[in-house]
Amino acid sequence: MPEIILKNVAKRFGKFVAVDNLNLHIESNSFITLLGPSGCGKTTTLRMIAGLETPTEGSISIDGKVVFDADQGINLPPNKRDVGFLFQNYALWPHMTVYQNIAFGLENLKWDKQRIRTRVNELLKMLKIEQFEKRYPSELSGGQQQRVAIARTLAPGPKVLFMDEPLSNLDAKLRMEMRAELKRLHRDTDSTFVYVTHDQLEAMTLSTRVCIMETGVLQQFAPPLEMYNNPANLFVADFMGNPTMNFVDGHLDQDGTVRFGGMTARFEHAGEPLAEGDVVVGIRPEYIHIDEDGKLEATVYSTLPSGMETTVKLDVDGTSLTAVVFGDVDYPVDSKVKCSFHKAAVLFDKATGKNIGKGKLVL
Amino acid sequence: MDQARTQNVRMNRMKGRVRAWLSKPANIILLIFLATLAVLTLYPLLSMLTETVTIHVGREARAARLPAGSLSLYHFQRLFATAENDYSWIQFYQPFLNTLLVSVASSVIAILFGGVVAFLVTRTNLKYKKFVSAVFTFPYIMPSWTLALFWETFFKNVNIGLKTSNGIMASVFGVYMPEWFVYGAFPIALVLGLHYAPFAYILIGGILRNMDANLEEAATILKTGRGRIIRKITLPIVKPAMLSTFLLVFASSMSAYSVPVFLGSPVRYYVLSTKMKSLMDSYPGQAYIIVGVMILFGVAILLLNQRVTNSRKQFTTVTGKSGQISKINLGKANRPVAVILVVILLLVAVVPLVTFAMESIIIKAGDYSPSNMTLDFWIGTNLSERLDQGDSTGILLNPKVWNALGYSLGLAVTCALVAGTCGILVGYGVAKRRGSRLASWVNSLSFFPYLMPSLAFGAIYLAMSSKIPWLRGFLLLGLVGSVKYLPFASRSGVNAMLQLSGEIEEAALITGVPWWKRMIRVIFPIQKSSFLSGYLLPMVSCMRELSLFVLLVPTSNTILTTMLMQYSEKGWAQFGNAINLLIILVVLLVNFTVNKLTGASIDKGVGG
Repeated sequence: MPEIILKNVAKRFGKFVAVDNLNLHIESNSFITLLGPSGCGKTTTLRMIAGLETPTEGSISIDGKVVFDADQGINLPPNKRDVGFLFQNYALWPHMTVYQNIAFGLENLKWDKQRIRTRVNELLKMLKIEQFEKRYPSELSGGQQQRVAIARTLAPGPKVLFMDEPLSNLDAKLRMEMRAELKRLHRDTDSTFVYVTHDQLEAMTLSTRVCIMETGVLQQFAPPLEMYNNPANLFVADFMGNPTMNFVDGHLDQDGTVRFGGMTARFEHAGEPLAEGDVVVGIRPEYIHIDEDGKLEATVYSTLPSGMETTVKLDVDGTSLTAVVFGDVDYPVDSKVKCSFHKAAVLFDKATGKNIGKGKLVL
Repeated sequence: MDQARTQNVRMNRMKGRVRAWLSKPANIILLIFLATLAVLTLYPLLSMLTETVTIHVGREARAARLPAGSLSLYHFQRLFATAENDYSWIQFYQPFLNTLLVSVASSVIAILFGGVVAFLVTRTNLKYKKFVSAVFTFPYIMPSWTLALFWETFFKNVNIGLKTSNGIMASVFGVYMPEWFVYGAFPIALVLGLHYAPFAYILIGGILRNMDANLEEAATILKTGRGRIIRKITLPIVKPAMLSTFLLVFASSMSAYSVPVFLGSPVRYYVLSTKMKSLMDSYPGQAYIIVGVMILFGVAILLLNQRVTNSRKQFTTVTGKSGQISKINLGKANRPVAVILVVILLLVAVVPLVTFAMESIIIKAGDYSPSNMTLDFWIGTNLSERLDQGDSTGILLNPKVWNALGYSLGLAVTCALVAGTCGILVGYGVAKRRGSRLASWVNSLSFFPYLMPSLAFGAIYLAMSSKIPWLRGFLLLGLVGSVKYLPFASRSGVNAMLQLSGEIEEAALITGVPWWKRMIRVIFPIQKSSFLSGYLLPMVSCMRELSLFVLLVPTSNTILTTMLMQYSEKGWAQFGNAINLLIILVVLLVNFTVNKLTGASIDKGVGG
């Protein structure tokens, strides 16, 4: 099962750098997400791997075969790369029925009629769209169109499947449903998935590894939970997680004392002691607990109860902190509560934004 | 050693990049069209420019007292700065001002008439809407001289113009119209305005139809009156389309030839195009300078139009798809307004046809009694025994007419196929490589022929063909027609391709569908009606074209329109009217057949 290797890949449009010096090793059978805000170069990266866009620099190989190399002048067209591509707005051909849409690519591969029929039926069944076989795309709902697009992409049995924000046009409920289906599909098809999204939750829940990018530069390439708990820098920390991580400016002393937002705590962590300097303290909202034994005094600024959890905005001595409390609890606005820090916090270098250490804040 | 390797790497990178560039069909298409169009449009332009500084054999050489073939700025000096006998005033400045006046006036008329009708059809509960919108494009489909000829035939009388005979108004109703009403600026502007009003109808109506009703509803909620909504919200949104129409009509009116010939020349009222034609025979150098001035005007208008349409984008983002437009209730005014509109449309679109039919069956001009009528001019035989002029058979029994009809149709189909197909390819290339310099060059070049006045375009190609022995007859006419009508086709091609998301093609590309198959099986079927409109417009235009071909046809019997001109010059009015009617009917027939069969329509091609 194929692995994909990108070496020093860059794409420039005139002076504008879309992707800069990107190195990626996508293991076989993995489900990779390219994540980032719009304009970060994630779609360009995907299109370069698929062959729809030509890189300016670097080399790309799929399954041990070099498909692009700027220095050797190699550039295989997309159809020679044995890949499938699922487009954001499905790109179904409006003048063909569901059956014709799925079969068109196969006819083109010179499959015989019977074999096409069998394969299309198999896919229609797999994606539960048998009853729509004779319909045109305009007669289908968004979710059904999405399934047809997936069936069409899967039809020739590509070893690698690329998806460009395929769920962004669906409503929230359907999106949840399709996420589960995609994850299942990944297991069933036994192929490598590369998935583009700007939705961090989608990236968290779907992928085996996340590649997060900003302005064309790779920020971190790691399994989602590792990225969540130990983000490489402020950008990644801010992008992953909802509600977002709390960031408070502070100062780290030689002895490991952190002073931030009117609070003072000891930063305990494994490994070498950290150098003294200005830092940003990052605390995940779910690691701020509201309890009677807490050492910090806080005022409730506002609450957003959702039933399963409640997001509480706190004011600690002029510093605003967001906490998440699980369960159906609520607090009166402007009431006084006590809170404390649990589990991990991350320190970032104030100047570079880089992660300098993960540890525990002891008040 | 190391240096050799870097050299090698650099070569490979170069090769790879070139190969990647050439692997995209859009790039190859653009390259081919850039080269071809440069030859077919820039070469004529250059050769025209050299004509403006060349002294030609004959009167020119004698007047300038210079040897024929020598280079000189004499023509410029003569045309622009000769005070004696008011030469420059008469030959250039007066026609120039006339052109400005007529073009501005016709643009205003077109916008007012077309815009008001577009508003009534899209935004009110007007009666007979179907009829109005069906008949409204008629004047554009018909040859532009139709209305002019109709105007002249209807209103002429023995007191004015050539003072030959009375038209229907004078002979039937006994009303003698004054000269300014029948000939000159007023009728020219009016006829051109009516002819191009469909532009305004299509462009403005398109915006009004797609305009998000919420915009007006939001104002209604804020307790704004109807009139204020129209003034403060609807009009500003339509303004870019109005400007676009203005420029388009202005450019078209400026280069119009047949209307000012019919309605201006009898009273020596000249515009640039008619002046150019009259100078062409004796002083071609000055004629070509006028062509240059007209082209300059055209380019300026094109640039302006581009700026306008670019800024238009800020409005297209607000036009959503909400369908429930609250139509204005015209109330008691509905029926009178509808009736007036229907009457005007009948006058503009139907009455001319009836008039031509009448004129083709009366024996003695001006006498409309039944005893003076005959079908001989259509189906008579041995006419020469009974008539002192004209052919010996009616036009429907005349093999010359049938030959010309066949030739005209063949030419129209050829030009439509060539221009339409090229238009789709240009559209594909331009849309795919949108934003690149190559694409914008090809886009501008393919639009350039639109700015060349037809007559001048024909003249230049005539000069060109004299140097190329095999470029003759059908081949020459087909080439000229295809190039001249490419702008229509490439416009609709580009519009159609821009509406198509790139993913549609990429989805086929990724499964290895070859380019030609993607075009035929995927792209063409999806945008079928827009693409077919790109074929229809050149076909209809070619069928009724006169000024482009008039200098190039081997004999005047070659195509129907030149045959018509020849008959009117000879004064064989009945034959001429019969042929005119034949042309109009064929054009309408072609248009509606294609429209019914494929859904393509002229309005889709006129995309400002």
